[in-house]
Amino acid sequence: MTEHSELRVNRNTADAETPAQLRHALAAFLNAIDIEPSLRDDIIIAVGEAIANAVEHAYETQEPGRVELHASTDADNTLLVDVYDRGAFIDREAREGRGLGLRIVRAIARAVSIDTEGGTRIRMVFDAALRQAQADERRARDELAAAQSDGAAT
Amino acid sequence: MTAQNGAVSSQSSLDVIRLTGELDIGRRDEIKRALEPKRSTGPILVDLSEVTYADSTVIAGLVRLRNDAEEQGRRLALLIGDARLARLLQYAGLAGAFAVYDDRATALTYLSGVSS
Repeated sequence: MTEHSELRVNRNTADAETPAQLRHALAAFLNAIDIEPSLRDDIIIAVGEAIANAVEHAYETQEPGRVELHASTDADNTLLVDVYDRGAFIDREAREGRGLGLRIVRAIARAVSIDTEGGTRIRMVFDAALRQAQADERRARDELAAAQSDGAAT
Repeated sequence: MTAQNGAVSSQSSLDVIRLTGELDIGRRDEIKRALEPKRSTGPILVDLSEVTYADSTVIAGLVRLRNDAEEQGRRLALLIGDARLARLLQYAGLAGAFAVYDDRATALTYLSGVSS
């Protein structure tokens, strides 16, 4: 479960289907590396917000361009996801009712960094240790421990 | 995608806003239109029970709608069927900001507190 896996895909922000296409590509990647479903869903929520950020500010400030998604796993079960565009970074937190996207990203990812040099790159680090096989193993261990605890109590 | 994305309908004094499918920034105009405050006086049910994905575009619209409803003294309830959407509200720090229900009857009971 420690082999290196990688996804690299990019789309045009002018296409209304771009956010969904990038999310679906990420979902397929996460399924292929056997990420536990609820963790997978949370990662998709976080990355979806980074994609939304890229699509929104690219539309606002200049001609639509490319938004790139790059995901990779490391040997230590860390999942690294970059969402990159060449538009100008917009501080959505300064706007009424906005700033929610980055708040959501920060609530889910283990670490988040934003690089605005030559574009905007939102880098998210996730703990991917809870892969399905490991989650199943842990669940079986917990059930065994619970059964043993019940047996000891009677 | 479904044929009823962003459909809005009214039932007597109750405003029902129904959104379905995957709601992201690519559909922001549609989402904004659907969640625009309506010039009526009844309670509002936002039916998201068939939403399978939402991003903060939806959350921002819901916050605007809630603020407007509060100003008008109208109740607003969200009908949510997918745990991912409930978690999205939680991650946005808005878990307690909305009356959230997973069944329509209970949501309507809550909303009838004002309309009756």
